[in-house]
Amino acid sequence: MAQSADFPRRVVVTGVGAVTPLGDTAEALVLALEAGRSGVRPLENSWAGRLNSPLAAPVLTPVESRFTKLRRLTLDRVAQLALLAGGEALQQAGLDLTGEAGLDCGLFWGTGMGGATTLEQAYMESFLDPAARPRPTTIVAFMANGSTGQLGIEFKIRGPSFTFSSACSSSAVAVGEAFLAVRSGRVSTALAGGSEALLTLGVMKAWESLQTLARPVADAPETSCRPFSKDRSGFILGEGAGALVLEEESSARARGATILAEIIGYGNTTDAGHITQPDAGGQSRAIQQALRQAGLTPSQVDAINAHGTGTVVGDAVETQALKMVFGARAGQIPVSATKALHGHLMGASGAVEMVAALGALRRRTVPPTAHWTTADPACDLDYVTEGARSLPQLDVIMSNSFGFGGNNAVLIARRYSVVAP
Amino acid sequence: MSSLPIIQKMLVEEFGLTAEQVQPESKLDELGVDSLATVEFMFMLEDKFKLKMTGEPVPIKTVGDIAREVDIMVQQQGITLDDSK
Repeated sequence: MAQSADFPRRVVVTGVGAVTPLGDTAEALVLALEAGRSGVRPLENSWAGRLNSPLAAPVLTPVESRFTKLRRLTLDRVAQLALLAGGEALQQAGLDLTGEAGLDCGLFWGTGMGGATTLEQAYMESFLDPAARPRPTTIVAFMANGSTGQLGIEFKIRGPSFTFSSACSSSAVAVGEAFLAVRSGRVSTALAGGSEALLTLGVMKAWESLQTLARPVADAPETSCRPFSKDRSGFILGEGAGALVLEEESSARARGATILAEIIGYGNTTDAGHITQPDAGGQSRAIQQALRQAGLTPSQVDAINAHGTGTVVGDAVETQALKMVFGARAGQIPVSATKALHGHLMGASGAVEMVAALGALRRRTVPPTAHWTTADPACDLDYVTEGARSLPQLDVIMSNSFGFGGNNAVLIARRYSVVAP
Repeated sequence: MSSLPIIQKMLVEEFGLTAEQVQPESKLDELGVDSLATVEFMFMLEDKFKLKMTGEPVPIKTVGDIAREVDIMVQQQGITLDDSK
């Protein structure tokens, strides 16, 4: 257990991992975003023709081949993605949790749907064939906490574990709650993040019915998601995983870990309004909470990673929320919406975008809001539409994640310095 | 005819084990084949050979135990194992 120390403690990030449509490492994600490379493409499989639009942002790396057949029995794709991203983050952190350290490490994981592929397979077989027996591993592969349990098994993380499901904000909540747990001394280290793998026929058709997916742009399908642009029409479904190793600052320093950034604020609120319609009031309260916890004034945020899904309503409401908090200064803060490039990774979004935000912080370069074409009076901030932008003074970055159900999660990170500013 | 060779071959194909690993006396849990994976494997055998498990829980601990169990069922149910399908 954590020994007596000054509370709250400082919380630093010592490892990041990401498996996304833009590559199978965190570094690949950050570089692809900077370059404005899109991971959106037409799906090529046996059922893509049954979709109104076959566009998606799939993970292209051969994920399955990284696991033995035996291991795969209990691993849905969502857990495979989790293990790859979690493994990368732990490796970078240089943390070996197989000994005593694993007892004091918490596990905080987010997912919107859990093992969608497994569940859909079991349903399909059961409906089509009255004599069908789903595989004996169906339950453990699709349960929402499957990834969480598998991460514990793989890396011997034996402290408290939690699974968060709040749609698109799931893994931002996971990172935020992990931050609070390390900050308060509940655990010394935490593996936090999220994974999502829901590019299945049933789930994609259900999303199509909801009318939130982007209209394909015929001659340039990879540019179909256009956050904050007047011609935006929705998002593109994607899959992936993002992971962060959070650690109490003094122990990270004591073991000589490379500190990538410090997490300093987290806000979480509920709209209590509508199950899908976002609410600027709820969002702005979450931003204010995060600022208050970070001890920052609105003038100290240098860049923002927007939730920015590219829906007509969502982007306008987020713009409004930013104005409510930042006032006249809102227009001077660069706002990037990276979902244009990596797609909407649902439950994995918050963690993946936090990994992207930390990359921006480290490189002092924010990624663009890609595919923007036309100004919209309802979205009148600085969305970094010209391409990646170097910000030599970038010290503090904020990342927004808002989920169906009305959950708003906001994280703030700062470049690390031994003496806190 | 013992079902052992067919079972060994399936363990190699389905679970990615090596031929050396699947000796009759090899312990399943030491191969990473836990109780869930064993049930999964028995389901595969049932589906492939149209066998019906007796429903009586039998202690299956080794590769040889699986073969013994399958041999009994094959005999009781008058089935010929044909892995050419």
